[in-house]
Amino acid sequence: MKNPAALEQLIESLRCLPGVGPKSALRMAYYLLQRDRKGASGLANALSTALETVGHCQLCNNFSELPTCPTCSNEKRDRSLLCVVEMPTDVMMLEQTQSYDGLYFVLMGRLSPLDGVGPKEINLDKLIKRAQHNSADQQGVNEVILATNYTVEGEATAHYVMELLKARDIKVSRIARGLPMGGEIEYVDSGTLAQAIVERKRVN
Amino acid sequence: MAVASNQYRQDHQPVYVLHTYAFKETSLVVELFSKAHGRVATVAKGARRPRSAMRGQLQSFQMLAATWSGKNELKTLHSLEWADGLVLLQGEALMCGFYLNELLLRLLPREDAYEQLFDYYQATVKALSSGVQPAMHLRRFELKMLQEMGYAVPLDFDENDSPIVANLQYRYVAELGACAFTGAENGVVLSGQTLIDMAKDAYDNIQTQQQSKQLMRYLLAYYLGDKPLHTRQLLIDLQGL
Repeated sequence: MKNPAALEQLIESLRCLPGVGPKSALRMAYYLLQRDRKGASGLANALSTALETVGHCQLCNNFSELPTCPTCSNEKRDRSLLCVVEMPTDVMMLEQTQSYDGLYFVLMGRLSPLDGVGPKEINLDKLIKRAQHNSADQQGVNEVILATNYTVEGEATAHYVMELLKARDIKVSRIARGLPMGGEIEYVDSGTLAQAIVERKRVN
Repeated sequence: MAVASNQYRQDHQPVYVLHTYAFKETSLVVELFSKAHGRVATVAKGARRPRSAMRGQLQSFQMLAATWSGKNELKTLHSLEWADGLVLLQGEALMCGFYLNELLLRLLPREDAYEQLFDYYQATVKALSSGVQPAMHLRRFELKMLQEMGYAVPLDFDENDSPIVANLQYRYVAELGACAFTGAENGVVLSGQTLIDMAKDAYDNIQTQQQSKQLMRYLLAYYLGDKPLHTRQLLIDLQGL
């Protein structure tokens, strides 16, 4: 039996989702058309609305419906600090800590030399412009905090950004690494523990 | 379920992680460079879950002890354990480390053991982590890698089996070696001294440093084919900042 062309196209489109193969796509398409037509039309509307209205904030490059996102236009935040992260979820995690009140910049990716993701593929030129001005009040950023992942790719990204900003005379720092909160040494993995020893901090 | 035949299981093998990429929802494909089995592709099931025990161990440039099994090309990775002190590659050294990994990923065939090359890799990564000038170590590794893989890079004699003379100019051509310098355009023009220095593993001379770089770049391009190395482009970009 052959599916109608429109259904086939729906199945094909669903496969663009991560982790969705032909079988799952087929199941999703049948479910939407068979059992949840209301949900399906909601999904279709939400998708097209999001595509039309959600762009990137001109300051932090995060997803935003406005030219400048609410975080960036919040007057109460410290405009002299700029925290560079890889993905929008990283912003959410940092916001949850409630201990950072500066602004953000989202690269929307990371350098991955072995996969051919180079500096041109992530938004580094936008970051440079951003670090040099706060376009709202033309006041420069005092410190850029690199909060990319502690993976080799994240480290490579941090190094590249550091080199870029060093050439422009901007203070750069990197988030610390070591034992997790409540971490018992007995159960911490060797890599983290070794790192914690190397980067120990003098306390007196 | 019966325990799989041990014939296909490798326990606690010294390895380096060359590269990882996402596989299905929560797994990773981990490209390993092992001492006894060469390059091995494995799947680390569930390694992308937030609390995966393997997460902290999946470090490139760090010697690990790996256990895997399977008879197909893609093995199943069971465990990775810390097997050496911390080797920290930072900044430029990290970029050079990526370069080594890209070379191995591009040139090494799967499951063909290169024990010597593994030792050279280990020595090079350690040297890079100690913060020395990387150029010399990279040249050494490139040369050893080609030699270990069986590509002849004759340095002591020219194509007619005459010994290399220090103050003569040569034209080095892949597969042939040093040829008399006649002004023909293929190959790389270099002095006899460079070849003698490279054979002796001495890279102190500035001219040797420059010419050995050109020679290795030419030879690698010859064996790699048309596709350029991403990491070299990145290193060039970094230098341009």
